[in-house]
Amino acid sequence: MEPILAAIGLLHRLNGALLAVGRGIGMLAMAAMVVAILIQVFFRYVLGNALPWPDEAARFCMLWMTGLMAPTAFRVGGFVAIDTIEAILPGRAMQVLNFCLLCVTLVVLVIAAQIGWKEITGIGGRFATASLYVPLSLSFDEWYRVPRSWMMLSLFIGLLLLILVNIELLLRRLVAILQGEDQLPRISDIDMAGPE
Amino acid sequence: MLIWFLPVFLVLLMIGLPVFFALLAAPGALLWLNGQERDITLLYRNLYNGMDSFPLMAIPFFMLAGELMNRGGITLRLVEFSQALVGHLRGGLAHVNVLSSIMFAGLSGSAVADTSALGSMLIPAMEKQGYTRRFAAAITAASSVIGPIIPPSGIMIIYAYVMGESVAALFLAGIVPGVLIGLGLMFMVKLMADRYDFPTAGRSYTWRERGEAGLKAFFPLMTPVIILGGILGGVFTPTEAAAIAVFYAIIIGLFVTRSLTLGEMPNVLTRAGMTSAVVLLLVGAAMSFKTVVSLSHAPEQLAAFILSLTENPLILLFLINLLLFVVGMFLDAGPAIIILGPILGPVFVDLGVEPVHFAIIMCVNLTVGLATPPMGLVLFVAAAVSRERVSTIAVAILPFLAVEVIAIFLITFVPAISLTVPRLTGFLN
Repeated sequence: MEPILAAIGLLHRLNGALLAVGRGIGMLAMAAMVVAILIQVFFRYVLGNALPWPDEAARFCMLWMTGLMAPTAFRVGGFVAIDTIEAILPGRAMQVLNFCLLCVTLVVLVIAAQIGWKEITGIGGRFATASLYVPLSLSFDEWYRVPRSWMMLSLFIGLLLLILVNIELLLRRLVAILQGEDQLPRISDIDMAGPE
Repeated sequence: MLIWFLPVFLVLLMIGLPVFFALLAAPGALLWLNGQERDITLLYRNLYNGMDSFPLMAIPFFMLAGELMNRGGITLRLVEFSQALVGHLRGGLAHVNVLSSIMFAGLSGSAVADTSALGSMLIPAMEKQGYTRRFAAAITAASSVIGPIIPPSGIMIIYAYVMGESVAALFLAGIVPGVLIGLGLMFMVKLMADRYDFPTAGRSYTWRERGEAGLKAFFPLMTPVIILGGILGGVFTPTEAAAIAVFYAIIIGLFVTRSLTLGEMPNVLTRAGMTSAVVLLLVGAAMSFKTVVSLSHAPEQLAAFILSLTENPLILLFLINLLLFVVGMFLDAGPAIIILGPILGPVFVDLGVEPVHFAIIMCVNLTVGLATPPMGLVLFVAAAVSRERVSTIAVAILPFLAVEVIAIFLITFVPAISLTVPRLTGFLN
């Protein structure tokens, strides 16, 4: 049990730090999305001159917000599921079922991440975005067109974070099955809502 | 063989696999077993492309606007205005509860937000006036389902995106059904108030006082006018209207009600962002799932099966309502729409049901499911807010659920209830 608890301790700290950074960037991405669309509304309807970049920039931010914030939701049980069976099963059987479900989710995530990496490094990732540029110098006379792979990377990074969270949850469940739940570090609660 | 992904999917769902993973695992496994590995890559592409969407951005924006409205002290002004209008009636606070929900629905579009914001204010007030706690919690939960029916509505944006419908048409189609449910609930409150001698919420307000309360609620109540007016007038897209709603909510919270502080913004952004991230992943996975639904020809087979039961569309609509009601008891509205929309939508559209009408039937039915036991989400929220047991609220809510079931059947069998407003405004032919 000791090595598993040590691994959980490590993952707990690692995931805690990575996801906190993810939430911070995701929060800024959310704010940037709003600002980008408001700029577009102003230019389109007030000045009568639509800009080419805000819509794509906002989508860029939305994808990164999703990739970076979804793992936190997964860690605190924010992914929607029907838990009727779990609720009626006795304690140990519920833990075992939960462990098996986490094995399935891990397989899905690993396969998705493999495909994701191939997509990023494949033909699709070599195209450039339609309107996003970053400056290469402080004088703003050289610009680099953002490749589409930078957007695609959002889902891949999200999947990697989800894998890390999944492994932590899997080990936690294993310890629970071995009846050592009281030795596990507590995951702090984060308030979640829903589209309903 | 591919058709087996549906039973596999249902089994995975029933044993508790999160919907996002079940939407990917079941079709993925069957594609692999079928030797179609290349199509598994297609699943991934559709997951990504499904999320990379401008119209979908309305979801995080409306969620953020709802969060900002909740924190901005707007609830109190709506309740005060409702009290000025209907508080003098017998069962006044119960009427206030329903009327506030109708107004709140135009701001947030979330039943959970409605239950928690209005419940925390009105349940203790109702108890103080002599209502039982279970009744107060039940009417709060029952009226909160109006939230996702009257626009703006998160689940309607999801439906419109997944099924390729017009968000504006769905928003417009939801107005009358939402008000109908509200009026039905108020009628039930009146019947119960007369029978059980409910108290009034106090004195009758003068029209001048009502005008003053209305003035205080004016700015919050302008939100749906701006959103719908902008979309209908062709001024904004739904996504832009949602961003405007965020901006408007910030202005109201900071400068009109002065209940929102800049220090609260990180928390509000994080909460809305996390919730949106889960929904966006689900919608992306739904787009993958939809691809395999088409590849497997499941809708055609399902249509053949349904038509073998009966060819009468009215009976079929009755049966589908039963199915949706049962699904709604166990699954939240958003995921249920994501799963069932691509399967059932094409079948009923082929049978001649207007797509917008079917969308409203699904949305209303599954939203009412949020207040039905055993898994109704708002029942749990109402229980947490009122500190009453879920089972007790589940019994007390039955008269109101009966009203909502009648409303579902009216909406189902009288298409004009949903379709008149979008037709009159030219959003539907």
